[in-house]
This record gives sequence, structure tokens and C-alpha cells, in this order.
Amino acid sequence: MREAFTLLISGDAETWGIVARSVRFSFLSTIFSLLPGVPLGVALAVGKFPGKRIAVSVVNAMTAVPTVVIGLAAYSLISRSGPMGKFGWLFAQAGVVMGQTLLALPVVVSLSYTGLAKLDPRFHETLTTLGTKPLLRLLITLREARSVLIAAAVAAFGRVTGEVGVSMMLGGNIRHLTRTMTTAIALDAAKGDFERAISLGLVLLVIALGVNLALHFLTASGA
Amino acid sequence: MMYELVDVKLLYGQRVALSIPAMLIGKGERVALMGPNGSGKTSLLKLMDGLIGPSEGRVLLEGKTVVKPAPARPRSVYLHQYPYLLSGTVAYNVGFGCRALGMDAREIRRRAEEAIALLGLEGMEGRTNRALSGGEAQRVALARAMATGAEILLLDEPSASADTASVALIAEAIRRCSEAGTTVVFSTHDEDFTRALEGRRVRLNAGRIENDEGGAA
Repeated sequence: MREAFTLLISGDAETWGIVARSVRFSFLSTIFSLLPGVPLGVALAVGKFPGKRIAVSVVNAMTAVPTVVIGLAAYSLISRSGPMGKFGWLFAQAGVVMGQTLLALPVVVSLSYTGLAKLDPRFHETLTTLGTKPLLRLLITLREARSVLIAAAVAAFGRVTGEVGVSMMLGGNIRHLTRTMTTAIALDAAKGDFERAISLGLVLLVIALGVNLALHFLTASGA
Repeated sequence: MMYELVDVKLLYGQRVALSIPAMLIGKGERVALMGPNGSGKTSLLKLMDGLIGPSEGRVLLEGKTVVKPAPARPRSVYLHQYPYLLSGTVAYNVGFGCRALGMDAREIRRRAEEAIALLGLEGMEGRTNRALSGGEAQRVALARAMATGAEILLLDEPSASADTASVALIAEAIRRCSEAGTTVVFSTHDEDFTRALEGRRVRLNAGRIENDEGGAA
């Protein structure tokens, strides 16, 4: 344990490089999942269309799909013979970010939908009676539900930071390129190099605690 | 005629919430909808605003079926009994209706200032929606509706959550709008408030018009 702390405190370049890479991947995939995820959540919450309940159920179910299944689906897309094989994303950083984006997307859609669906019905009627145009309506809706949307982003970040299946399958755990905290822990533990595994585990724990604290305060302020 | 209701029925499941064979409301009229809880006052106001549609019959505004958002003038604004204020200051909320209509910033400020003065909200412009009492929130929402220059105000118990001072301000603001030509239809249980505003009284019971003093139908 002492060695693990020493690795962190001494500023070990490889350890902190892995942390920085993980955070960068998680940050990018969270952003990329928010771009389509929030509008989809809005559409589910305020839209009226056939099959809406089924769509909501599918999105909610997707949040619980194991990461290796998402990884497998993404692998089939970006493998050399897959429809997106020409981009060369397999075992590259773009592949990990893409896979993590797919993983985060249902979380963002589901939480955005849940939060927006809970908006007071008087809010929608007020915008309608005042003749609010669609674009302003969308902006005001996002503004009113901002704490929910930030909470969705934080939850998505937490989901992708702690996953191992997608990063391992799509990134290949390549040193200095696609190795993340979780894949490094898996490798180091298998090799018996527990110092680095524990040090990275501690960082993951701190991140998980921070994400949960942020979620707690954001949802409390939203309520 | 501003409003014309023809064989209007509103059903909630099997329950008949409203059944009005005929009702006319003229331009600039001041109409008080009275009656016990569940008599259909709120439903009638929402029908007139187009927020809900009738199960049967027609609600006509200047001869055209009411739809929301209104494609052309005259415009109506409906005000909830417990109005919804957006996150932000009093000034932001009062100006929001004008912003929704696409007015420029200068016009929004001018109209908001007028409405704020009319409803006695001076000095409260910077206060946030969460820091307002029920009566203050009611006045802010009424100011928001009035600032838009709507030709029709549909007010659901505008005096319900207000204290005596607020009720007087709300009544005076409604009277001034009405005298300027705005059609005002409001629901209330408050006899004093109705007397203070004078005008036509329509009493509803179980979704039907029981009594219409001064009505055309």
C-alpha cells in the first residue's frame, strides 16, 4: 500500500499518464454522448409519437447492458471488415472514445428523459400560452432542467470512467496509447504488479466518490 | 363576437367535465366564472386558450377554431391559479412573454417596466422567483401576461393566493386592462373580488352553466 501511495505522490509519469488519458477519454465520450443524448431525451420527454413507451423501455434497458456487449457491438462496427473499418479506429484512441460514447449515450438519454419528464406540466402550458417558438422553447427547457442535465453528464462520466470491457476490446490496452486506469489495473493485477494497480484503484475510488458527491448535490439542488 | 362556444363537451374518460350548448363572449367583456371546485372553470379557460381541445363541439375565436399557438391575432394568455415562474428574476419573468413573441430588447424592457409599475412590483425586479410569496408570484405572472399586450386574458383564480393588498393591485390592473379593450375572463370563488371588478357573472355547476347574469347565451 505504501508503494502505491509513493507512486502517486512521487508523480510517476506512467501512472499519471494513464490517469490523464482515462480522464481525457471519459471527458470526450461524455461530451460526444451529450450532443445527441440530450436532444433525444428532450424528444422522448416532450414528444408524442407511436411506440414512445417502447422507446423509453429500450433506452432504460440499454443503461444496464454489460460493457463487453457494447464493446462487442462497437468492435463489429470498427473492425477491419466492419462497416466503419476504413477509419482505422480499432486499437486506437478514437475507438475507445467511440465505444465509451455508445456506453454513455443511453445513460444521458435515460436521465435526461427522466428529469425532463418530471418538469411541472404548468411549465409547458406556460410556454405554450405565451406562444414560445420551438427553438426558444428548447433553450428554456434545457435551462430549467440544467441541474438534471448536469447530473446526467456526471453520471455518464462515472459510467465510462469505471468501465473496462469497451476499453479493453476496442483499445487493446496498448501502453502509452489506449491504456486506461481500468485496463491497466486488470493487466497489473494479472502480472502481480499490485503497487500500480492499487495506486490506480485509489484514483478511481476518488473519482467515483467525487462523481457520487457531485450527483448527490446536483440532484438535491434540482429537487 | 370574440368567443363563441357551440355544443361544447369536454369528457375526462366517462365523466362530463363541461357541457355548454352555447355561450358568447363579446370583445372587451369582463366575465367572472364562478362555481364550486370541479365545476369546470379551469377547463373552460383552458379550452378558450386552446391548451386543451373539446371532445365535441367548437370553440371559436372571431369565427375561427381556437388553436395554440395562435396563428394570428387576437392572442390570448392563460394564467394558472398557481402560476409557473421561470428560474430567474422578476424582471426576467415579466419580460419573458415579450421575448417569446420575438420583441427586441428595448421593447421588452419598456413593456416590462410598464407592467411592473402596473402591478406594484417596483423594487422587486432583481428578486428571484424562489424568493416570492404566492401573491407576489401571482402579480409577476399577471405582469408577464399583460406585458405581451394580449387581447384576451384568461385568469384562473387570480386572487386565490394573494393577500388583501395584492388582491387590490390585481383587481385594479385587470380593470385598467379591461378598460383599454382587453377581454378578461377569470375564475374565482371570491365574491368581493368579483364585485370589485363588476361585469358579467357566469355560474357553473357540474360542467353546466347554471346562471349567466348579463350573458348573451
